Amino acid sequence: MKEPVASPSARPEGEPGGTPTPTTSTTDAAVEARPDAGPDAGTDAGTGLRPRAGGRGSTATATATSAPAAPRPRRPVFTGRQGLTVAAFMAPAALFVAVFIYYPMIAGSQMAFRNWNLNDLTDTSWVGLKNFREIFTDPVFGTVLSNTGIWVVGSIVPQFVIGFAIALWLRRRFRFRGLYQAMIFFPWAISGFLIGILFRWMFNSEFGVVNDLLEKAGLINEPIPWLADPKTAMVAVLIANIWYGVTFFAIMILAALQSIPDEIYEAAEIDGAGKVRTLFRITIPSIRGTLSLTVLLRVIWIFNFPDLIFAMTGGGPSNETHIVTTWMITVTQRGDYGRASAIGLIVVAMLLVFSVFHLTATREKSATGGKRATGRKPRTRKTKGTVS
Amino acid sequence: MLSRRRTATALCVAAALVLSGCAVGGGGAADGTVTLHMVESLTNPTRTAVLKDLIAEFEKQNPKIKVDLISPPTDQADQKIQQMLQSGSGIDTLEVRDITSGPWSTNRWLYDMSKDLKGWAGWNQLTDNTVKYAKDAKGRTYYIPYGFYGLSLFYRSDLVTGAGFKNPPASWDDLLEQATAIQNPGKRQYGYAFRGGTNANSNAVAVIEAYVADRIDRENGFKLTDGRTIFSAPEALTALKTYFALFKKASPPSSVAWGYPEMVEGFSNGSTAFLLQDPEVIATLGESKSISRQQWTTAPLLTGPSGKAVQPVATAGWGIAAGSKHKAEATKLVTFLAEGDAATTFDKKNSLVPILKSAADDAYYKTGAWASYVKMTENPDAYITVTQPRDSSWWTEWIQKSDADIQKVLLGKMTPEQLLTGWDSYWTAKWKSQ
Repeated sequence: MKEPVASPSARPEGEPGGTPTPTTSTTDAAVEARPDAGPDAGTDAGTGLRPRAGGRGSTATATATSAPAAPRPRRPVFTGRQGLTVAAFMAPAALFVAVFIYYPMIAGSQMAFRNWNLNDLTDTSWVGLKNFREIFTDPVFGTVLSNTGIWVVGSIVPQFVIGFAIALWLRRRFRFRGLYQAMIFFPWAISGFLIGILFRWMFNSEFGVVNDLLEKAGLINEPIPWLADPKTAMVAVLIANIWYGVTFFAIMILAALQSIPDEIYEAAEIDGAGKVRTLFRITIPSIRGTLSLTVLLRVIWIFNFPDLIFAMTGGGPSNETHIVTTWMITVTQRGDYGRASAIGLIVVAMLLVFSVFHLTATREKSATGGKRATGRKPRTRKTKGTVS
Repeated sequence: MLSRRRTATALCVAAALVLSGCAVGGGGAADGTVTLHMVESLTNPTRTAVLKDLIAEFEKQNPKIKVDLISPPTDQADQKIQQMLQSGSGIDTLEVRDITSGPWSTNRWLYDMSKDLKGWAGWNQLTDNTVKYAKDAKGRTYYIPYGFYGLSLFYRSDLVTGAGFKNPPASWDDLLEQATAIQNPGKRQYGYAFRGGTNANSNAVAVIEAYVADRIDRENGFKLTDGRTIFSAPEALTALKTYFALFKKASPPSSVAWGYPEMVEGFSNGSTAFLLQDPEVIATLGESKSISRQQWTTAPLLTGPSGKAVQPVATAGWGIAAGSKHKAEATKLVTFLAEGDAATTFDKKNSLVPILKSAADDAYYKTGAWASYVKMTENPDAYITVTQPRDSSWWTEWIQKSDADIQKVLLGKMTPEQLLTGWDSYWTAKWKSQ
């Protein structure tokens, strides 16, 4: 239940550590479980119990979850003295999180119910749900919602497919593989806003390189006004985002792929499995957990990623490329923090609903392969930490 | 036992570190040196360098004052300043813009300098316009302008002559004619660098104001002398029709999304023949590699049918935070920047319309691209300077709304008539609610 809360709140701080918490816990379980994973029966029972606990992932529950795999481990029992020490060690972090994340969050959300306008702070009275009503009745809101859907789905599907392909390709050993990897991962290190500015010029109709290349290739006769037409503008921002986000999928999936033991592939080869079959029967099931978690993370991040659109189109032309978060920025610029906070709360609510739905759906699906899958996460996390 | 004591020590050290990190320096030192924290808003690298030189000069003259200049990126600067002001400390001198002075003074974040400046000798050296902007309706001084932004028409003299015209356009109708003649999309030659993106409203309003110049309220550029909005006048529709024809017949189609960078780039790389912009572009164009100094110059702002133009003045200046503990020193810095060499240097290096009367005798402003500004200043009846309601608390909201509306018209989703009706009712309602 609490898992989804952790993810959205972790993202804005740019702390990759937020969500992968559970991974630490299940490592041993998964690694141990894998060799004997063939017969699924045992694992099944394990996963059946786990999802909720695994999702939350405190150390205590984690150790507990490995129980079915290994002979019952010693459950750590904290005596008063030990407990105090643990609490003392945790206190600074807890305090930090409380002061810098939860307090601003709560303080910010109460603004949503007030008349909080920076242009005039002499009256910040309580206005109930007025800000929310105004948002829902705003004619732009419908466009913003459907754009957000297009933005998330239109970005994540190609990112996923291309990222997966790159990861499969980089998994093979060849000369300068390290160099290629570094080059592919590089975009992830650039600020979204900067990428937006670069692409804004690349997609410029008269002076941009995109039209120039298309013309030289003989594909178009006259320049496409990319950012001036709402439809092409959305395509342009999507292309930019796909280019940017492919990297993350490539990193995550590659890391997961590297943890699949070669023996399994060798066995498959001996058994006469073809490439496609190997992909769908071994590769994908083995990394299903990583895939599902990466998709979840990316949905949340893309949802919360206004930088690109803001730098490229500013939500224009005529508000046609606004997503919820870019719209929130423009409201903030107006100084209307009350309404902006209300939009923020709506975003959190939407992501909460999505996360719960996603976690529930993937839990049922991965009932068989879930245990193996989650086991890959520790490495992926490491990779990500070093790259980003 | 030992481990627990160690833990406790570690915690204490950590707490001490955190707390000391949170403490904000008051700015005063034991030897009486005062450090002023100064924040700028319309930051750009050249300008920051000029400002730093001026500050160094100030520190030389006032050895007991140090100035710490903070330069946030322009896009977020005003929001950063807002946050600093809201927290009430850490900021002494700051850049106040005509659009921020209203809300910030309402929130009592700005210090009223009028008492401190009562006997200030500098008042006499400032132009009338500067003095006017340095005082609000109630005579309070929240900032002293450092310069003014005003529009003039940048044009390509070679292309204008090449198309068979003797003189640059003087009116919006002339512009439409000449730009249409020059437009040749096949050769990627366009007439006018249309502003359809961010701040599209500013030029659209300038056209409308030129067409109602005879009836405009000089204290509020959005009002007619009869109290109604300029958007309600029948001339406004004629103005917009000419203006949107300029987009259809004589501008690059993609200029629906053009903001400041694209407009300047379009002119600077030679693709467009006309550009309506602030004087700061003079410096930028001087560095262009595609067009030489001989190929372009400026003409006065375009007029309406009555032969008059309305100059929508925009300005910014230096002010003092209400929460500052060093107001006397901060006042010294503000007056230093508004006087003599410092003021002149700042305006010249940043291509701003100057604040000092002495600029009228300065040869620098009589030549080249600056000449049109002199012409406009010398003919105040034809080139009327009008105060825009930029200090309204809804100004940003208005900009966002009007920009989106203009794009809707450009994309064919709204008619100019609908746009004007909308704008008229928007401002009428806002003024009523005041």
